[in-house]
Amino acid sequence: MEDAMPAFVLHSEAAHSGTMNDAPANSSVDSDEQLMLAFARGANGAFTTLFERYKQPLFGFFRRRVADPAHAEELAQETFLAVLRGASRYEATALFRTWLYAIAFKILRAHRRKAAFRATFLGAPAEIPEPAAAGSLDVEVMMRQAVWALDAIDREVLLLREFEQLSYAEIASLLGLPLNTVRSRLFRARMALHTLLAPATANVKEAL
Amino acid sequence: MITAAHPVAPEQLMALLDGELPVDEAQAVSAHLEHCAECAELVGQFRAVSGSLASWTVDDAPASFEESVMAQASAPAKALRTHTFRIFNWKLWALGGAVATALLLYIPTVGSFRKAGTRTVMEQRAIQPYAASQPVAQPPTMELDQLASGGFAAATRAPGVAKDTNGLFHSVQEQSIPESAVAMKAGRADRPVNGRSDRLTSLDASTAPTAPMIARTIDLNIMVRDFPAARGALDAIVARHHGYAAHLSATTTDNTPRILQDSLRIPSPELASAVAEIKSLGRVIGESQTGEEVTQQHADLAARLQNSRETEERLRDILAQRTGKIEDVLQVEEEIARVRGEIERMESDQKTLEHRVDFASVDLYLNEEYKEQFGTPSTSVSTRIGNAFVNGMRNAASMLLGMVLFIEEAGPVVMIWLAILGVPALLLWRRYRRMRAKV
Repeated sequence: MEDAMPAFVLHSEAAHSGTMNDAPANSSVDSDEQLMLAFARGANGAFTTLFERYKQPLFGFFRRRVADPAHAEELAQETFLAVLRGASRYEATALFRTWLYAIAFKILRAHRRKAAFRATFLGAPAEIPEPAAAGSLDVEVMMRQAVWALDAIDREVLLLREFEQLSYAEIASLLGLPLNTVRSRLFRARMALHTLLAPATANVKEAL
Repeated sequence: MITAAHPVAPEQLMALLDGELPVDEAQAVSAHLEHCAECAELVGQFRAVSGSLASWTVDDAPASFEESVMAQASAPAKALRTHTFRIFNWKLWALGGAVATALLLYIPTVGSFRKAGTRTVMEQRAIQPYAASQPVAQPPTMELDQLASGGFAAATRAPGVAKDTNGLFHSVQEQSIPESAVAMKAGRADRPVNGRSDRLTSLDASTAPTAPMIARTIDLNIMVRDFPAARGALDAIVARHHGYAAHLSATTTDNTPRILQDSLRIPSPELASAVAEIKSLGRVIGESQTGEEVTQQHADLAARLQNSRETEERLRDILAQRTGKIEDVLQVEEEIARVRGEIERMESDQKTLEHRVDFASVDLYLNEEYKEQFGTPSTSVSTRIGNAFVNGMRNAASMLLGMVLFIEEAGPVVMIWLAILGVPALLLWRRYRRMRAKV
């Protein structure tokens, strides 16, 4: 739940993105990169810590992008397995977070390709099994619809910024886009979402 | 909403909120934001969007997820690594290399052991007959037999033997210096040319091992500098060695190297010296020699021939001694004629085979080492330029025509296939795109 905080709640916090509310506070404890290198050298405990830090963000990553929660769980699991297997190939040149999301993104893309292929030829359109749980069902459905209405790349940029809280540069390298394009697409997506969510925004304002 | 004269772009505002502006720019934009109602409204919109997105929470990661990942993580690292097969697995490469090296070392060793073994056996065999036998009493076929089994080669390698049996040894050596001569002589020895009974031949062929009959073929590719001289010399060599040309073709065109293709037949005993002389004509650029062992074939033919002759004899006896009806007599005569025909065919086969053994075949290519020569071309330069131009235009026209014809001919069929295959493919592609956007 705690992963869902937006990029800026307080204006002051936006200045230093390293200690974002979602990203683990790494002042006293080991940084992600240190942990990952320790794990690559054989310390299994390091992986447990990393997993604890990232299981919810990563699950959220897939949960918001994939309609079926079972699929989301599967893909998140696959991502962590890839991390386990690729530990020896990890180099500290990249932030662990970027590396992790790059893997996740690849797995997501592969999943989408496969699912689309299956849906094309086997004619089984992906039924979205709505989760029976949670009171936030309405919000979820509404958000999902609004976000899906965006252009595919705009949507990806927006989600990576708002929920994964990657910097513009990280998004640019992940999606293979120029930095300026990321900025303009993000702007476009936010403006579009603003009009799409007009009623909801009003509600939020009231609540505030 | 935002006027053209506005100093701060909306994207800049958004970047400020995201903490993505450089410090000086950020200060300028914040300062502007202090007293600009429009920008403040925009900031409000951005916050509202983020705020409403924040309400999109997801449920907690299920426990099964954590369990299965942790189960994988706690598995021993090695078991995990074997999961992924990597091409650059150095252990695998090292193992493969070691096996390959071992094989490479092993094979030649085994080969040389085997050779050494056979050689000692041959030497023993060679020593026995020569040491035990009287020089003159040895029947000539026996000598050749020994020669054929490699005794001669072994004997030369064993100097002691050469000294002990010098008389016989020298005579053998004389007969057998060209290898092909051995084959030929041996072949003749067990084959009575002058009409003696064939029974002996077949007995020889079936019981006593005879010297191998080898039909030799040599391919030679020779580059010569002076083509006419080489051709003359070649004819002289062939004549000197009592050979003949079975087939000869020469190409001689302007401005290209001349080539002579010649299929020669050289008597086997003279083959080695003839080939050596031919090689001296120029530079050898290709050579291959093959020897086909036809002993078995020959022996087989001889045995069959003998059988047929016996059959013929018996049939003649029947005709001479028995009396019978006319049709029976006719039948026997018919049978005799058939057997006779068979015998003649086999005899001719035998002759061909013997001829192939007696005369080695040499396929020779004589290539001229061509030097480009200055000189007036046969046609003038302007004519050639003109011709080339005309040819070029003609080629272009014919190519265009060919294309038009092809389109006319194949076009309708291609269109039909495009319709048959393309429309479903397009529909599927669209569906895929749609699904892609949905998933």
